[in-house]
Amino acid sequence: MKSLLKTAVWAAASVFASTAASAGEKIQIWHIFGNATEPTLVNFTRWNETHPDNQIDQKFIPFAQLSQQLIKGIATGDVPDLVTIDNPVVASFASQGALEELTDLVKGSKIIEKSKYYTGSWNTTIWSERQYAVPGEANTLALYYNADMFRAKGLDPDKPPRTWAELKELSAKLTDPAKGVYGVGFSAIQSEEGTFQWLPFLQQSGGNLASLTSPDSVAAMTLWADFVKSGQASKDVLVKRQFEMMSAFLGGSSAMVVGGPWELQRMDKDAKFEWRVATLPVREGKNIEASALGGYVWGIPKGAKQRALAFKLVEFMSEPEQMKRAWSGGRLPPVPSISVENPANPKAYEVFKTQMIVAKARGPHPAWPLISSAIQTAIQSSLTGQSTPAAALERAQAVIKPLLDKNPIEGL
Amino acid sequence: MSKALPNYGSSRPVSRPLEGALDRLFDSRNVWSVTVAATALYLLFFVGYPILYNVIMSFQEVSVSNVGRLDRPWVGFANYQRLIGDPLFPLVVKNTIVFVSLSVILQCACGLALALFFQQRFPGSGALRGVILAGWILPPLVVGAIWKWLLASDNGVFNYALQSIGLISGPVYWLSDPSSSLLAVTLANVWFGVPFNMILLAAGLSGIPREIYEAAMIDGAGPFRRFTAMTLPMLRPTLYALVALSTIYTMRSFDVIWTMTHGGPIDSSNVFPIWSYKLSFDIFDFAGGAAASTMMLIVVFFVALIYVRSVRAEARA
Amino acid sequence: MSTMDAEPYGPRHYALAAAGLLIAGLYLFPVYWMYASSLKASFELNATKPTLLPQAPTFAAYAWIFVRENVGRYMTNSVIIASAVTALTLLLATGAAYSLSRFRTLWMDAVLVGIMVSQVLPPALLATPMFVIFKQLSLVNTQIAVILATATKTLPFAVIMLRTTFAQIPTELEEAARVDGCNRVSAFLRVSLPLARAGYVVVGTLVFLQAYGEFVYPVSLVNRNELQPATVGLYGFVGADYSDWGNAMAFASVIVTPVVLIFVALQRRIISGLTAGALK
Repeated sequence: MKSLLKTAVWAAASVFASTAASAGEKIQIWHIFGNATEPTLVNFTRWNETHPDNQIDQKFIPFAQLSQQLIKGIATGDVPDLVTIDNPVVASFASQGALEELTDLVKGSKIIEKSKYYTGSWNTTIWSERQYAVPGEANTLALYYNADMFRAKGLDPDKPPRTWAELKELSAKLTDPAKGVYGVGFSAIQSEEGTFQWLPFLQQSGGNLASLTSPDSVAAMTLWADFVKSGQASKDVLVKRQFEMMSAFLGGSSAMVVGGPWELQRMDKDAKFEWRVATLPVREGKNIEASALGGYVWGIPKGAKQRALAFKLVEFMSEPEQMKRAWSGGRLPPVPSISVENPANPKAYEVFKTQMIVAKARGPHPAWPLISSAIQTAIQSSLTGQSTPAAALERAQAVIKPLLDKNPIEGL
Repeated sequence: MSKALPNYGSSRPVSRPLEGALDRLFDSRNVWSVTVAATALYLLFFVGYPILYNVIMSFQEVSVSNVGRLDRPWVGFANYQRLIGDPLFPLVVKNTIVFVSLSVILQCACGLALALFFQQRFPGSGALRGVILAGWILPPLVVGAIWKWLLASDNGVFNYALQSIGLISGPVYWLSDPSSSLLAVTLANVWFGVPFNMILLAAGLSGIPREIYEAAMIDGAGPFRRFTAMTLPMLRPTLYALVALSTIYTMRSFDVIWTMTHGGPIDSSNVFPIWSYKLSFDIFDFAGGAAASTMMLIVVFFVALIYVRSVRAEARA
Repeated sequence: MSTMDAEPYGPRHYALAAAGLLIAGLYLFPVYWMYASSLKASFELNATKPTLLPQAPTFAAYAWIFVRENVGRYMTNSVIIASAVTALTLLLATGAAYSLSRFRTLWMDAVLVGIMVSQVLPPALLATPMFVIFKQLSLVNTQIAVILATATKTLPFAVIMLRTTFAQIPTELEEAARVDGCNRVSAFLRVSLPLARAGYVVVGTLVFLQAYGEFVYPVSLVNRNELQPATVGLYGFVGADYSDWGNAMAFASVIVTPVVLIFVALQRRIISGLTAGALK
């Protein structure tokens, strides 16, 4: 009864807030965009132009500091009205009561509708059947390759690897130690980025997080470990972030590399060779197309003052007009029906759009950071040769299984 | 208190009452006690509470939702037991010991060598010593990034140089090989800390009266003898302070390792601050992070005790 | 140290100078690398074979940061914060350092231990509770909060190093002054403080540099970008999925160079301070 009353009051308050009380109020936003040309910042400017009564008061927080700052904000009751959150931690924050539930607001929205969104993107915003965030911009992974190097080795640049077998074959052919060229590159760093890059291979293998010890899952790890063992991938994959692997590709020391659309601008500007993008290969016999889902989501921290107003801004950001801009920042709108007219790098755009359809969310799981950490350790012990992939995954399984028993993840 | 320095104040003639009172006030030890108290209170207020907050948190169950309050469920030593039982614990302890001791010893030794070298009189000695400080001015983030470049196995300058002069035939995997990554980050950290040590030791050296050396030279003491019998003992207060401070700074250093390896591969360069940070902000185990940092606190308490003891011994000598 | 000041430079001095140049050159290679990288185009920056000299130097990165990044505002903030921290630190540290060098009681020892222990936790872990304090004081979102917080890092350092400086000054000099009619404070001001000048220059410089490089406190205590120092600006180049090291190196070069130059100039002061001290 009490909670019903509370809900009623809150509903009334939010209706009131969205109509009258908001005039003159500012919307406080914390975001991770340090570069003024970021589409999200352009969209903020657009909002400010069209909503003189409710200007945005924005603060840039370096990505590495965001979780920390948000936790500090929650601890001290000093939270913004809106914040950009890295999608795999939404469930952690939501399960610990740090985010406002948005289920009803989203249900009442004409702009934000589940059916419009990529499944992967939408899933990242749900925890325990409730909505805690709204997808902002999305990204995913594909395979960049150096067409000039293909030609130099007598390979057809129109035929990027479609299967693991082809990937291995091409990577072996492209590897050229005398020239300091590795066939393939990916980031296996001991951080979320390493997990992000390996998960697509796990899914392609037919394995999954619930059965990491299965031969399929082991095959996914063996694939990576073999690339390093055979010298087709540099040992430096163990400490290089994704952008550093892309730098290696850019500098000509890697013929193929797994990377995201956020690199396209840099490729356009800096690459001195012909490069192309292809969808990630599949495992023969399984033919499972898979990729990873990245990107940020909008969340309203618990205790935010301008909740209704913040949600209005999220709706504004979710309009096609604004979402379209994502591509200019190297990301995709999380809504497949929104197409970018005359996109830069049209071919890459098509590839990444195709990958988005099969891109799976990491989680959602309240203990995702723990799961991810166990995967990182497994990747690193396999790739350094300290453990066999099977043994490394067995240890990861021991950590992950109890967590999944408590909160299963669908389809991962 | 009165044993250390007898109070001469009262015996001096005083002309006017107000001035006399002021003079007495300025001659008492209370003035100095007040200055110590001011500093102590300042630190107690601004750092004491945050440290206490961390210690309290290490005995509680903490989640994102209650991180702001202090009335959280108490769990005794559970967080400590969990950390000590973690397979990572022995590795992180070992890494921290290696990283801290190597860093402190090498920084101090290189710093002393450079300070002695640049103390000699030659054209440009001062300017060169000043320029070396540039290394210490760089933001840690930039230091980490530069060293990661220099030590990269494929296109790093280090390997390139070593290969060019024929010292190695294939690339050395400084950072990506678990057996060398800790040494690689230590190297970068030593490089970073040397100027700080050098400049403080140079200041310490300058406090040694020149006459002593001149007298010793007349007595026929060689350079080595002069160094061990005079320079080192005279430098002892500075050395103690420096070693104590370096130990503490190295124990909390974070950015360089974070930028270079994130503590990897497979935690081979994971040290206490990295572990504590990862616990708190990567997996949101705030209590675990607080417990890890409290363990550091205990170690530093002992470092501080040793320092203070040595200061006392120095006073007695 | 073995030669008289008046002696003209001979071959031995020039040999030492050459060795000094070599040592400094080797040591500073990573710093050179920062400057060189800031002048390289991205392709060269990531080339398989590293180039010692930028093959096609470009100032594009500098143009970018001056036009886009408001580097002037960042540096002004850095200088304001660092200067204030230095002044506050030296002011608070002086009395404490002197007392700790002269009076030895259990209390003093306890304070010394406390001062050292206060240094151990990384700012990242202290930032949240500190934020609570500054919120109570209504100082959040001011540079005053950043200054007060940063001084907690520099103050212990200054106390411990200045303590050593004062410990090296013979007490006999002060006692002589006191016999001549000085009280303790004036004896300190007239005798010990001038003798500690070299120590002050060194400690002051290092405090300034530490404060200049502080990152965690400004980023967590101040919510307004226009009040942030350059270190926070630098982190803008390290994004979620990409980093912009070419521009970051240019930015770092811009914020570091003036400080290096000032320090090299100050070096003369330190030397004169040192000689003055040694002659007494």
